[in-house]
Amino acid sequence: MINFEILFMNGYGVYVWPSFIFTFVICLGFYLKTNKALKKLEKDFIKEAESLSKQEFENLKKQKIAKEILVSHSKN
Amino acid sequence: MLNIKTKNRILIFLSIFVLSIILTIFLLKTLRNNVLYFYSPSEVSKSDENSLKNNIRLGGMVKPGSVETDNNKIKFIVTDYEKEIIVIYQGTVPALFAEGKGVVAEGKLQDKKFFLAKRILAKHDENYMPPELKESMKQNVK
Amino acid sequence: MIKYLNPSYIFNLTGKILSLVKFFIIPIVIVGIIFSLFLSPEDYIQGDAVRIMYVHVPAAWISLLCFGTLSLLCVINFIFKIKSMSLIFKSLAPIGLTFNIIAILTGSLWGQPTWGTWWAWDARITSMLILMFFYIAFILSYKFIKDPLNSSKICTLISLAGLINLVIIKYSVIWWSTLHQPASVNLTGETTIHISMLIPLCVMLLAFLLYSALIFLMKYRIETIRVKKKGLK
Repeated sequence: MINFEILFMNGYGVYVWPSFIFTFVICLGFYLKTNKALKKLEKDFIKEAESLSKQEFENLKKQKIAKEILVSHSKN
Repeated sequence: MLNIKTKNRILIFLSIFVLSIILTIFLLKTLRNNVLYFYSPSEVSKSDENSLKNNIRLGGMVKPGSVETDNNKIKFIVTDYEKEIIVIYQGTVPALFAEGKGVVAEGKLQDKKFFLAKRILAKHDENYMPPELKESMKQNVK
Repeated sequence: MIKYLNPSYIFNLTGKILSLVKFFIIPIVIVGIIFSLFLSPEDYIQGDAVRIMYVHVPAAWISLLCFGTLSLLCVINFIFKIKSMSLIFKSLAPIGLTFNIIAILTGSLWGQPTWGTWWAWDARITSMLILMFFYIAFILSYKFIKDPLNSSKICTLISLAGLINLVIIKYSVIWWSTLHQPASVNLTGETTIHISMLIPLCVMLLAFLLYSALIFLMKYRIETIRVKKKGLK
């Protein structure tokens, strides 16, 4: 059984809980949005990389950043 | 070491920076009265008669032992340890309103000694501590 | 030395730090919340309303820190024209704005039970609101001004004006009479928060800093990939 006295906080719970929930929701939403954008961008990058000709793709793999993107995305 | 273009950019930056600081200082000096959120009792007593007509905010300490409550009416003295002003207010005060604590009253001056408040705000100070500690501190003082 | 400034090296590093931060953030957030909501004592006047401080104060600090850093980077970028700087400040601005909004919202929720008002036009609160507009203006100007030279100039100007505002925020509670109380935690002077409340504050600050690092690294990767993608075409 949860102790409601603790949640009530002598009447201040009405202010304390919303402020923590607000913060949490805003942070979580912002994280999910950023994560989605990152994943989408990585996917797009790989799609474009694959649409390149074989020669260009090999060249791209020599670039470290491009390689890292290709590898890190396939891991997830 | 630095090329001329970079030096120029540093100069441009510094001149803009200094200029904007000077501008801000001037702006704040002229706006000083608007920037202040409340006046202390000494500032109120120094001000001219004209200011009595407007709504102002008065801030200071609630003088210990000065709070008198009568039904819904509350009367107390706001002090800044130099001048004192009596404040009269009708209604409920915030939970943190207490003797010896900061307060901001919104309203009109009746005369230089009386202030009719329309709203009372409690001003909190920067001290944070658990209640038990406060108790033990009080005992130490005694 | 050159090795550490190499974009590909940095990009590689961000990936490693990102997984490290992801590993640490959840336990620290949980510990911070338990500390600040249940373990820490109530205040002798504010009662339990003091708990709002544990999200309000770190959020406000981080929003100031973000703006300070990004304006510094803007100035360096303006003077020395270092390309990768723009990647960093583009990643910092949204974090600062988020925490600024959190600080204002939670501050308002704290103001109602303690001061007796949701909002007051005092110097501290108003200058914090102005900082929010600076953030918004900054983000809009790098997003919507197409010409990179113009946009970087305008960004620098905005960040410079914001920097002055930052000083005003810091000293507003000292220079003028405000409803907002003066700073309780001072690096040089006396700290007026009891240790039992300072610990949860520090844990929450750490949690928020880790969160900022998380978002920052993700944003940095986004911006880098964007640049790389342009290079593909």
